[in-house]
Amino acid sequence: MQHVIEVVEHRGGQTRKVTFELATQARELAEKLGGTAHAVVLGNGAAQLAESLKTYPLDVVHVSEDPDVDRFLIDPTIDYVESIARATGPSVILLPNTMYGRDVASRLVARLDAGMAADVTGFEIEGGRVACIAPKLGGATITTCAFVDTDYGVVTARPNAFAAQSGGNGARVEQAAKPQSKQYVMHVESEVEEASGELGLEEAPVVVSGGRGLGGPQPFTTLLKPLADALGGAVGASRAAADAGWVPYSLQIGQTGKTVSPNLYIAVGISGAIQHKVGMRSAGTIVAVNKDASAPIAEFSDLVVVGDAFSIIPELTKLIEAAKGYIK
Amino acid sequence: MKIVVTVKVVPDLNAPKSIDPATKRLVRTGIESQLNPYDEYALEAALQLKERLGGDTTVTLLSMIPESSKETLRKALAMGADDATVLSDGALAGADVAVTARALAAALKKIGFDLVICGGLSDDGSTGGVPGALAEHLGVPGLTNARHIEIESTGLKAQRETDTGYQVVTCPLPALVSVTMAVGEPRYASLKGIMGAKRKSVSTLSAADVGVDAKPKTELLRFAPPPVRVKARIVEAADGPSGAQAIFDFLRERKLV
Repeated sequence: MQHVIEVVEHRGGQTRKVTFELATQARELAEKLGGTAHAVVLGNGAAQLAESLKTYPLDVVHVSEDPDVDRFLIDPTIDYVESIARATGPSVILLPNTMYGRDVASRLVARLDAGMAADVTGFEIEGGRVACIAPKLGGATITTCAFVDTDYGVVTARPNAFAAQSGGNGARVEQAAKPQSKQYVMHVESEVEEASGELGLEEAPVVVSGGRGLGGPQPFTTLLKPLADALGGAVGASRAAADAGWVPYSLQIGQTGKTVSPNLYIAVGISGAIQHKVGMRSAGTIVAVNKDASAPIAEFSDLVVVGDAFSIIPELTKLIEAAKGYIK
Repeated sequence: MKIVVTVKVVPDLNAPKSIDPATKRLVRTGIESQLNPYDEYALEAALQLKERLGGDTTVTLLSMIPESSKETLRKALAMGADDATVLSDGALAGADVAVTARALAAALKKIGFDLVICGGLSDDGSTGGVPGALAEHLGVPGLTNARHIEIESTGLKAQRETDTGYQVVTCPLPALVSVTMAVGEPRYASLKGIMGAKRKSVSTLSAADVGVDAKPKTELLRFAPPPVRVKARIVEAADGPSGAQAIFDFLRERKLV
């Protein structure tokens, strides 16, 4: 493996910080391997996004606005990435560890006869082999796995784990050639917007999460959402809250739900059962607001404030909004 | 219609886990095994379809596990699956995503299917890599993250979860679908189901039976315990502004605001 290819997740040209984290990491890794750093941006809005990627230290940005990419589920994307990967040569393929990233990675494993490493937080090069550092068993152990007997290593990288740093000499934007035409069969008939989730939970730098202690659906919008907005983050929930129907399951963090690793995790009225813990234990800083000082969450938090969330959170939101006003 | 649900057996989340330094594999001795919770949702989706479609629809479990773990599948049979096939071979121990997907694909080609339903992730490996790779190897549409599945005369129609809502996606059968937990809470086994499960067939295939000879593409070099979090600072009885100030000061101290 010599080159590094980042596959960019976006919607209509709108993307998230992890895209730039991976662009930066692509260069770092390519330097160590003595290869080139690439990004692939496909679908509606790709051209505009490719322009903003030029300020990152990539060699080539492969771009195509082929409408098939959005009209059909995943298959056209895989054809493009496969053909770019084969033309580039043995490489590490970088994706975010999100629903999209896992989908693309998983297909590439079969197409490229590749190895896969998920939720990766770091890399090491050992004897010319690429090794990936990743937590396993719900964060109970940190593993280092090397790719063996393959030309391609597919990696879904943990958002917020790598620094984003612009620079470089300006990437060359290249039009990606359409892979030989195939009959695509998974039609995307329509898109329905439901949640307020402008920011994907798995990629959010801050997550404000609520549980049974909130007592109903309303505090998620009146209490947690304003705080998440003030901090530039997203709202999550415990399983108890999702099971009660207070929030959609797509917001549930923990076992059978999503795994998050934000810089800051604020748990409001969440007791912290193991099923929740495995989904957030690796967050940078964990703050718990709970009425019960002996709740299990205290065992893996950095700060526990024992008190009434309904009186604390609005005041905290005000403090943060005020601070932002003064700093900027 | 023949529905096959792929099922993994994983260690209980609550059990203390360790990796054997010699084999670099999880120590399973003395640890309670259970069905991968994500796969219980896949089974629930399959059983819902069976109820809706009726007729000759069957639900088969397919699991790549050691012979010794076979009994764990009884729970899934008790929930309502009709039978199970176990792909069990020492040669497959320590399989990674690449090997697992190839082996399951080979087994699926052998036993046949109209629809494969997978859980989105496993509780232990958490790679989420198998469903897509499996669809590729089978050469069938692979529709991931479905929260609702319908069978229509032209094929399959699903609501597929996205970060902001869902997409409606259609594809022909045979196909592979992975599901999210929004398909519905997995049912409990009834007493009748539990009694009946004992008589259901669990057949075993070896790697040679399905003709798979795949080598892992990843190798575990090392493992270490996660970094230890310093014991939490506790601020007692901090309602209203005092609690808010305590959090704010802490975030300032850590340069998070």
